[in-house]
Amino acid sequence: MNEFGQILETINIGLIILDKELNIRYWNRWMESHSGISAGKIVGAPVFDFFPALNTPKFQRSCKSVLTFGNFSYFSQKLHHFLFPFKTASSFGSRFQNMQQSCSLGPLRNGDNVITALYITVQDVTELAEYEHKLLEMNMKDGLTGIYNRRFLEMRLRDEFERHTRYSRQFSVIMLDIDFFKKVNDSFGHQCGDFILKSVSAKIASIIRKTDFIARYGGEEFCCLLPETALGPATGLAERFRTAIAGLKNVYQDLEIDVTISLGVSEMSPEISSPEALLQQADKALYMAKNSGRNRVAVL
Amino acid sequence: MIKKILIVDDSPISRKMLKSCIPKDGGFEYFEAGDGLEGLETFKEVRPDVTFLDLTMPVMDGVQALDEMKKFDTNSIIIVATADVQVKSLERVMQLGAFHVLKKPPTKDGVQDILRKAADHKGQVNGPC
Amino acid sequence: MVPAEYVITDEEKEILQEIMNIAFGKAAADLAEVINIFVVLSVPYVKVIKAAELPDYIRHEIRDFSHISIVEQNFWGEFKGSALLIFPAGAGKELISLLDDDAEASVESGSIDLLEKETLMEIGNILIGACVGKLTELLGDVVTYSPPRVIVENNPREIIPANLFDRDYSAIVMKTVFRFDERDINGFLFLTTNPESIKWLKESLYGFLAQYE
Repeated sequence: MNEFGQILETINIGLIILDKELNIRYWNRWMESHSGISAGKIVGAPVFDFFPALNTPKFQRSCKSVLTFGNFSYFSQKLHHFLFPFKTASSFGSRFQNMQQSCSLGPLRNGDNVITALYITVQDVTELAEYEHKLLEMNMKDGLTGIYNRRFLEMRLRDEFERHTRYSRQFSVIMLDIDFFKKVNDSFGHQCGDFILKSVSAKIASIIRKTDFIARYGGEEFCCLLPETALGPATGLAERFRTAIAGLKNVYQDLEIDVTISLGVSEMSPEISSPEALLQQADKALYMAKNSGRNRVAVL
Repeated sequence: MIKKILIVDDSPISRKMLKSCIPKDGGFEYFEAGDGLEGLETFKEVRPDVTFLDLTMPVMDGVQALDEMKKFDTNSIIIVATADVQVKSLERVMQLGAFHVLKKPPTKDGVQDILRKAADHKGQVNGPC
Repeated sequence: MVPAEYVITDEEKEILQEIMNIAFGKAAADLAEVINIFVVLSVPYVKVIKAAELPDYIRHEIRDFSHISIVEQNFWGEFKGSALLIFPAGAGKELISLLDDDAEASVESGSIDLLEKETLMEIGNILIGACVGKLTELLGDVVTYSPPRVIVENNPREIIPANLFDRDYSAIVMKTVFRFDERDINGFLFLTTNPESIKWLKESLYGFLAQYE
């Protein structure tokens, strides 16, 4: 095989050629080894026969754009994650189920400069993606409790707000804080206070659903963002938090310290003009809960 | 017999390009206009046998000019020249009575072909080639 | 003083204007075919200015936009340079609803910002590809492109790096309004090239016209 052929077969990038009917014309060794499908088996077949999930409007549009007009098309890892479902190369645990890929498409022309095929390059960017996630996490998580921090919550809240504006998706927020937390710090010291914070946040984190977010909003204040949740269920969840914390036994250096939380619940509605306004409303509800005796849920 | 040709296009380069695609030995008389309104006025005055009309022009655009010209003379042969070949765009001009659509940039073959068709349409067999 | 071979004359500008008319007409058709929506691109207003004037020119043209989104793509063939497509803020979100691939997917995706960015990239890629591609095709060149970079919603003053354009050579600016299915989205396309490309461009423009002598 000449040198060019050798490069295509040995480089650490997946290379595929599709003809105008989207049949596979070339499948390099990288693709073979990661897919487990030999070139002999796949060359000549329609790419969707082996990868039906690839058949999306965006992919079709990209192929059309490349084959008809000679454009270049890109599938970034950030939005698409991957085009081909391969296992991650590393045997160590990865946060990702599948190899994360950055792909590009481009035209191939014949001697008369007519576009006859397209190529696809596939790059494994799993490590990069993991590193990015770690960085993000460090920026998004609260050092002490390990749950999300305020910055993250505000970002997510803005997203949910957008989603509500564009697609009318309902969501709610719960503002909560630990009753008489100052007293705990004053009586038992700050390290005990930290322990309580960790205990309470861990308990709530164990109750929330996969799609919810719990974040440390202030010193002893927490905020819970509940997408796709209306006021009723949100209030029910807030009550569950309350009873769970009320019944929680916190033992710190042989001392049993019981705490309770007060909660304010609000759901998104058209009159609320901004994410901040929604938080303010929930905060008002929290204030109401505190004023009427604490260890309770108030709704606004 | 095609004698008078009117070219309406706001780009002098475009007019020049089109003219160069028309055979020099055809004995044609040329008229030019730089916008839709001027084109319409010239059209009414000169009564060309064939009109080449650009779509995107200032003052009065090609579509409006086409409409007005056709209203003035329903049998007039008007060829729309455009680079925008979306089906929806073309449907509209055909509906308004354009004789044909000439894709830009013009080619000698393409233009001669259209002139031939126009001559046939006019009932004459004496084409320019 | 800049050598004549690196400056575009008025006559060349006229030829360029016509070529860009053709390129934009084709770009509209291309885009329409790919995204299945009727597209109208207004006739591009083509201007040639000194590259050093470009930052101020851009700032002036987009002064009404409080925030902008930019798609930038490099191209290289005989004609080498950079294409900058500038949209006002919010354009990205408008474009998302145009593509409307899969309403479910849009809601599921991590962030609206990300989707907006990719949509701008996709449409920008097609537009730049169509305009630059057709321009170079008409002039007998084949170019390849870098992946497009998208910068979303920045304050215009921060975005245009002055040092990019500190030469006395030519930059081509084009202004057009994109109209998708009844919605107007103002956009600007700026092409900056190096001196060798300007030289090539001048020669090819005449070469192009020579076919029509």
